[in-house]
Amino acid sequence: MTSTRGATLFALALLAPALLYILTIVAYPLVDTFILSFTNASLKPDYDFVGWANYQRIFTAGNFTDVILRTFIWTFFSVSMKMVIGMTGAVLLNAAIPGQTVFRILTMPPWIVPMAIGIFMWGWMYNGQFGMISGLLQNFGLTKGPIAFLAYGNTAFWATVVTDVWIGVPMVTIYFLAAMQSIPKDLYEAAWTDGAGRFYRFRRITLPLMIPAIITMSLLSLIATFNSFDIIWILTQGGPSGSTTTMIIDTYKTAMGSRKYGEGAARAVVICIFVSLFCLAYFRAVRKLQQGEAK
Amino acid sequence: MSQLSLKRLEKSFNEARIIKGIDLEVADGEFVVFVGPSGCGKSTLLRMIAGLEDVTAGDIEISGKVVNDLPPVQRGIAMVFQSYALYPHMSVYENIAFPLRVEKLPQAEVDKRVGAAAKVLQLESRLQHRPGQLSGGQRQRVAIGRAIVRQPKIFLFDEPLSNLDAALRSEMRIELMELHKRLGSTMIYVTHDQIEAMTMADKIVVLNAGEISQVGSPLELYHKPDNLFVAGFIGSPKMNFINGKVRSADGAKVTIDLGSLGTLVLPRTSTAVAGQDVTVGIRPEHMQLGSGEFTLQTTPNIVEHLGIHTISYSTLPGGEPFIGLFDGDPSIEDGKALTVGFAIEHVHLFDARGLAVY
Repeated sequence: MTSTRGATLFALALLAPALLYILTIVAYPLVDTFILSFTNASLKPDYDFVGWANYQRIFTAGNFTDVILRTFIWTFFSVSMKMVIGMTGAVLLNAAIPGQTVFRILTMPPWIVPMAIGIFMWGWMYNGQFGMISGLLQNFGLTKGPIAFLAYGNTAFWATVVTDVWIGVPMVTIYFLAAMQSIPKDLYEAAWTDGAGRFYRFRRITLPLMIPAIITMSLLSLIATFNSFDIIWILTQGGPSGSTTTMIIDTYKTAMGSRKYGEGAARAVVICIFVSLFCLAYFRAVRKLQQGEAK
Repeated sequence: MSQLSLKRLEKSFNEARIIKGIDLEVADGEFVVFVGPSGCGKSTLLRMIAGLEDVTAGDIEISGKVVNDLPPVQRGIAMVFQSYALYPHMSVYENIAFPLRVEKLPQAEVDKRVGAAAKVLQLESRLQHRPGQLSGGQRQRVAIGRAIVRQPKIFLFDEPLSNLDAALRSEMRIELMELHKRLGSTMIYVTHDQIEAMTMADKIVVLNAGEISQVGSPLELYHKPDNLFVAGFIGSPKMNFINGKVRSADGAKVTIDLGSLGTLVLPRTSTAVAGQDVTVGIRPEHMQLGSGEFTLQTTPNIVEHLGIHTISYSTLPGGEPFIGLFDGDPSIEDGKALTVGFAIEHVHLFDARGLAVY
């Protein structure tokens, strides 16, 4: 009896640092935000509980539903492009070509360069007067005059997506490449012996065997992209006219720009719910894949 | 006309010559086994025949046609891999049907051929299972099934049984031999296991360091090895070798000085000449306890009692290891001297280059 109790206490002592860390860093802010979302907290020293008022306001007044829709569209295009480009890159890097290592190294810079520097670099490239992209388009005669990509809603939206894709692609590529290389070479040789061409081998062997990696990467990328803040903030701060305002930007603007902490917290809780659903989907997928492997 | 001809076939990886000018003829319906130690080039040779490795020099002919530059599918071969190479995400049915799907055969034909292969391989009840749900032997059969449905001229097997346990291996060996009888196809089989080679082959090709050491039937290789390598490789436990020097040789007999072991007189005509360094070879199973036309004293370091056989391991005065294999369970003990002998007719003789001297 004593020894069982001793073992339990010892286990708790071992867990204590991790528990303390989680309670301080994760649980406390989460609970605090949740409580804050039911208040009218602002710069004033005191605040009152307002019940569901913040939630009612964000879904009835203003354009929060537009922001949600925009966030999903932004995330959808960004994640899809990362997956498609990442997969294409992995296939190319996996091909037995001369200088393979050099090409693999060349995929890394977007990942290696500090994110803010990369984003500023894109900001300059999008510049209408000095930007490389506008300059090239004019040189090739594709546009008549300079285009300030970040000055118009439509182009700014796509400019932020492209920058996010540029930063995210290397990780996806390397992850897919690693998954691709774990497929036994014998399978391809057997298929080649049976007359299967390159595309057939990709479709019937590589792609099906990559599904676990694709699902995992898509969901992880979805979570990260949904919460992507720095790219949009540095490039456009959500503008022009809110055309690049996603949920995370909107929350920041409400809480930190307008100093409506209570309403901002309600928006943050909505984000948290969405991300939790993505996480749930991710864990369920992982469990299903592991069960599949066990079979 | 042979089904398969290899003509001065060579393979190099950069500077390393792996296959060094191999000539070989394989007849239609023959079961040929490539055997040799690790790194001798046997798998490379098989992969060259399959079309998975380029040919550096020489020609591969299948049914009289040079196939060096043809892709595997146009060579009329099917290959069974050591790892089975089954597609884990497909059912057994789809694994076997894979080559037929590539060919875009109609579903009825696919059903017919897969059904026939599954029947031959007793896989009918497993067709909807995934490879992960099968035993090692069943997986091996699926891999063979995938080869059968293509109806190839030549089957290529790359160490197909090496991942199975000993009991299953001998079972599958018999199944493969029955399959060969039933299909009557040409089969080329790579192994490093001489028991597989001896039991399955019509013809064994012994490879050493990228060259053919000897080609022949299993018993030819056992009874008349051309060189020291084949003599040592074929037979288990391996042949004993004792260094000696020819004292005299005439038309009727050869007298060999074996140092402190004495003098061995072989009553045979031989190309050996006086003064020549030679190696005398005698198989452990040809040893008799206590008597023989030539006898010697040994003290076993280790004795293995297997019930059906007893094997003694000792070292001769010249430092050569010496193994004796005796029927039954005679009373031999470690560290206790014993006299062993053998009949002269069982002695093999090799010159200083390791070539058989007859």
